Amino acid sequence: MSNSKSPLRIFEGHQNFRLRIVLATLSGIPIKLEKIRSNDLNPGLKDYEVSFLRLIETVTNGSTIEISYTGTTLIYRPGIIYGGSYTHQCPNSKPVGYFIEPMLYLAPFSKKKFSLLFKGITASHKDAGIDVLKWGMLPVLEKFGVRECALHTLKRGSPPLGGGEVHLVVDSLIAQPITMHELETPIISSIRGVAYSTRVSPSLVNRMIDGAQKVLKDVGCTVNITADVWRGENSGKSPGWGITLLAEMKKNWCLFSECIGDAGDVPEDIGAKAAYHLLEEISRSTAIGRGQLPLAIVFMVIGKEDIGRLRINKNQIDENFIHLLRDIKKIFGTEVYLKPVNDPESDDFIATVKGVGFTNANKKIA
Amino acid sequence: LNVNINRKRKWDIGKLIYMENVSAEDCIKRWRNEDVDDEEGGDSDSDDSNEEDFFKKKDENSSKESNPKQTIDLEQFVPYFDTFEKLAAKWSSVDLIKNRFIRSAVERK
Repeated sequence: MSNSKSPLRIFEGHQNFRLRIVLATLSGIPIKLEKIRSNDLNPGLKDYEVSFLRLIETVTNGSTIEISYTGTTLIYRPGIIYGGSYTHQCPNSKPVGYFIEPMLYLAPFSKKKFSLLFKGITASHKDAGIDVLKWGMLPVLEKFGVRECALHTLKRGSPPLGGGEVHLVVDSLIAQPITMHELETPIISSIRGVAYSTRVSPSLVNRMIDGAQKVLKDVGCTVNITADVWRGENSGKSPGWGITLLAEMKKNWCLFSECIGDAGDVPEDIGAKAAYHLLEEISRSTAIGRGQLPLAIVFMVIGKEDIGRLRINKNQIDENFIHLLRDIKKIFGTEVYLKPVNDPESDDFIATVKGVGFTNANKKIA
Repeated sequence: LNVNINRKRKWDIGKLIYMENVSAEDCIKRWRNEDVDDEEGGDSDSDDSNEEDFFKKKDENSSKESNPKQTIDLEQFVPYFDTFEKLAAKWSSVDLIKNRFIRSAVERK
């Protein structure tokens, strides 16, 4: 709910655009974003950012968004998270993952259940693919008590023309996230994955699987990568292929990597690249990967007034992490305390944070 | 080896993160000792305010220079990785992370 008494929190630049909007929505604090690409040849908000704002306006009730004439300044006054059933047509400049990812932060705290159908591109080099969101992000939500959450791929749509359809359903509406305590690095029990193709020869999929399995043959656990070949109407408008790998750990944690192929790429190399990325991610992560970290930290911050703890790897502390913590502090006023673990053989840290006691405005706590 | 690394580190990342006058890039550089010569060792979490003030003043100039050229894309979901060749060389063997995997049933037999 919008807190009209709160002063505007002012941010500069377009960095962390979605997260800032999400944090403002969760906290109910209005924000002002200034100097959005003010020095660029094409200043102001991009089409996908405007599309994202439209989506936010759709799933909330009472939000107001003011954009300056040049698009370089934005004032966002959040309303309540309302949810409901909608269809969002994503622009082809960003995949559906760009829009779905922030919805995962908001959906559990809405008044009505979320049932959003996203249309557009389903894979890209920079943003989350649908398999990663489904197998990598939803388990993180589960850890915080959001259990009834599903992402259904109705159609795959490869870039540049897309044509995919993905249905996000969040039935679990919770009052508060559960406090997180994960002080260990769980053992990886298996590696699984999916290699997919749309409108290209299915042999590419098998070649990607071969490439990945060759790299992962020595890991000493089960490796199971399935082929997912899409044909006909459900395979979108453009040819494409890619692979997503998942390292499953004890306690239902998982790490992931994904790669998509472009024209001229060798399928075996794409499979091997995804496998290398997964190994690299494993070496740089604990229970949680770099892509999952912001979601976990934000849910820890908005949790009940209790101390949550999460073990993180030294390599996970990078520029993105610092920007995340600074934005959280600016909006919620809370800090994350980092303490090295009591183990001389480990460089890991324990991120400790006291929840701000956020409660879903639409839920009453007994 | 870890003990030596820890002794060399002068900055407490927990404090650096929330020093608004130091850019995120500089935070990481300082924490990893990429731009600070330190031969004397000692702990990072010194509470000597004079020393902190000294660095703060120095940072104001450097952060002003580094802030405008933010090259990292914070919106990017997929993390940055080394090139394929570097990764292939690094992961020619998985011994580095072997202890992270459960041994397969076949291997156990």
